[in-house]
Amino acid sequence: MRLLVIEDDDTLRESLAEQLVEAGYAIEQAADGREGLYFALEYPVDLAIVDLGLPEMSGLDIIRQAREQGKTYPILILTARDRWEDKVDGLSAGADDYVVKPFHFEEVSARVHALLRRSGGWASSVLHAGPVVLDMSRQELKVDDALIELTSFEYKIIEYLMLRAGQVISKTELTDRLYDQDFERDSNVIEVFIGRLRKKLDPENSLNPIETLRGRGYRFAIERSEG
Amino acid sequence: MSSLSARLLVSVSVLLLLFFGATIFVLDTAFQSAGEQARRDILDGHLMQLLAAANPNVDGALSFPPDLHEERFNTIGSGLYGELRDDNNELVWRSRSALGLEIPSVEFPELGDHAFKRESLADETPLLTLSLAVQWEFPDGELKPYVFKVAESLDSFNAQVAGFRRQLIGWFAAIALIMLLSISVLMRGLLKPLRQIETEIGEIEEGKRVSLSEKFPTELTGVARNMNLLIDNERARSDRYRYTLDNLAHSLKTPLAAMRALIRDIAAERRLQGRFNEQIDRMDEIVRYQLRKPAASVADNLVLTAVPVGKEVERLVSGLRKVYHDKQPLIETDVAAGMQFRGDTGDFLEVAGNLLDNACKWCAGRVKITVTPSTGARAIVSGMILTVDDDGPGIPEEAAEALLERGTRLDEATPGHGIGLAIVKDIARSYGGKLKIARSDLGGAKITVSIPPIPGPGKA
Repeated sequence: MRLLVIEDDDTLRESLAEQLVEAGYAIEQAADGREGLYFALEYPVDLAIVDLGLPEMSGLDIIRQAREQGKTYPILILTARDRWEDKVDGLSAGADDYVVKPFHFEEVSARVHALLRRSGGWASSVLHAGPVVLDMSRQELKVDDALIELTSFEYKIIEYLMLRAGQVISKTELTDRLYDQDFERDSNVIEVFIGRLRKKLDPENSLNPIETLRGRGYRFAIERSEG
Repeated sequence: MSSLSARLLVSVSVLLLLFFGATIFVLDTAFQSAGEQARRDILDGHLMQLLAAANPNVDGALSFPPDLHEERFNTIGSGLYGELRDDNNELVWRSRSALGLEIPSVEFPELGDHAFKRESLADETPLLTLSLAVQWEFPDGELKPYVFKVAESLDSFNAQVAGFRRQLIGWFAAIALIMLLSISVLMRGLLKPLRQIETEIGEIEEGKRVSLSEKFPTELTGVARNMNLLIDNERARSDRYRYTLDNLAHSLKTPLAAMRALIRDIAAERRLQGRFNEQIDRMDEIVRYQLRKPAASVADNLVLTAVPVGKEVERLVSGLRKVYHDKQPLIETDVAAGMQFRGDTGDFLEVAGNLLDNACKWCAGRVKITVTPSTGARAIVSGMILTVDDDGPGIPEEAAEALLERGTRLDEATPGHGIGLAIVKDIARSYGGKLKIARSDLGGAKITVSIPPIPGPGKA
């Protein structure tokens, strides 16, 4: 999951980014409005965290322009001006939720979770698809109630695919969204991880949770059942 | 009497009444005295005629021919009478016209006395009389005193005077009416710019206009310009104030957020982190409360705008639907059609936002916001009654009081609770309104903010 953080205060931005990386996200950072807008429009992003009081260009303008350009990823506002006027302005400009400074990191991460889940069309943070159950807040995966041990990268892949259950995800998209910038990009690595995931989730080869569509990518193929 | 035109009209009417009254009196008096003088001259002529007509007869007394030259002496009830008395005040002769009438008699006057008098007949017909006492020398040399008296009824004269007076008053009344009418028309024209200023200020107060127009006569352009300057200054001041507060909030809160992020990195014991966070929360509460003072108040009449309530509530509710996407409360809105709130948009959103946010947070699934106007006698701008209901656990009475108290003694407040309500209460108060907490029909809390209407300027 690639998140964009636009915040002009270096300490706050870096610390937020660090904690989000720890939580398993890939992060893009921008320190002013102009750079932020560029990232918001040009980079593959799953969610943007935007401070409203930015130099060069206001957070509101970034949100508005991103929405005008057809960007549909969720946007979380960080605001120090916790007047309702600002919140309402931000929400009607196209943001999906807000967090008021000074926030606890847990608050931000809970909102980010919820927004990502919502953008995939899930109503709860525990995703159910047949026998497969993914708990986003605990980062746990169960098949037929049995906990499956996953590496953090394996978890990221299955979470990404499950959140977008039914959609075809290309290899490029997976590398783009899951690797950190400086990570070596090699699509073969993805294939290896998908192979491992299949073995772990479906050792008997009866469930076939992850389909390969030749030349197009992968799809989490089990019907969503609830959540 | 506060209207300029009413004042002017009343003073002009009083002046006209005095001036025309005096004129009528003077003209009337002059007309009467001129008329009376003419009457006297005529009466004098009649007396002379009587003297000329008198002749001593054979009995040694005076007598008159049966028909006098003046026909009116001969016609009964003609209004001109003559008589002759001797020194015993015995009637010697009376003109035919006086038949059946009793002309009041007088003491024998001094000889040679030529006296005009106002007298009246028995039927109270007013008379002007002239009597003359003479010593008549008979051909035999005997001298006898006689009183010649003529009297003329003043009926026709009085009628003439009354007619004249009626005409005089009629004409003057017509002139006065025309003058008053033309003055009031003139005044309407003259006072039009003033009235326009009044209208435009009213429109500014109602939020229909932002400044005075520039089309005023020279004498008023200065006033209009300065008024606009004042309004602009006031607006700029209130914007600057808000901007400063926003910047202050931003510059205080971002470091707080950074500090909070940083102390996570302090690998110290968790207990210390908790205490740091407590302090940060307290500072945050103080910054939030102190910097979120109401942007406007009823006193800033000219800065206020008309907030379209329906549109703002809709914006707010669609924002909250995003924020409470997972809970999906049913938010009903019931806003009176065309409802406007006279104040600051930020203040309105702060009130509605805090109340709706709390309601969404605590409700089981239903929230309702109702906004209706409230009017009062002489109100130029209607007030607002905003109610937010929810079906949550509600607020017990003791807690309600404590919640409302909070904010006045902020340092004792527990962070994270009730600060929204304290802010709402402050804003309501700055508009002269009230906040009430009660139990809702839906089962939860019912919070009502009532902002009173703004009465018109001094038309008491």
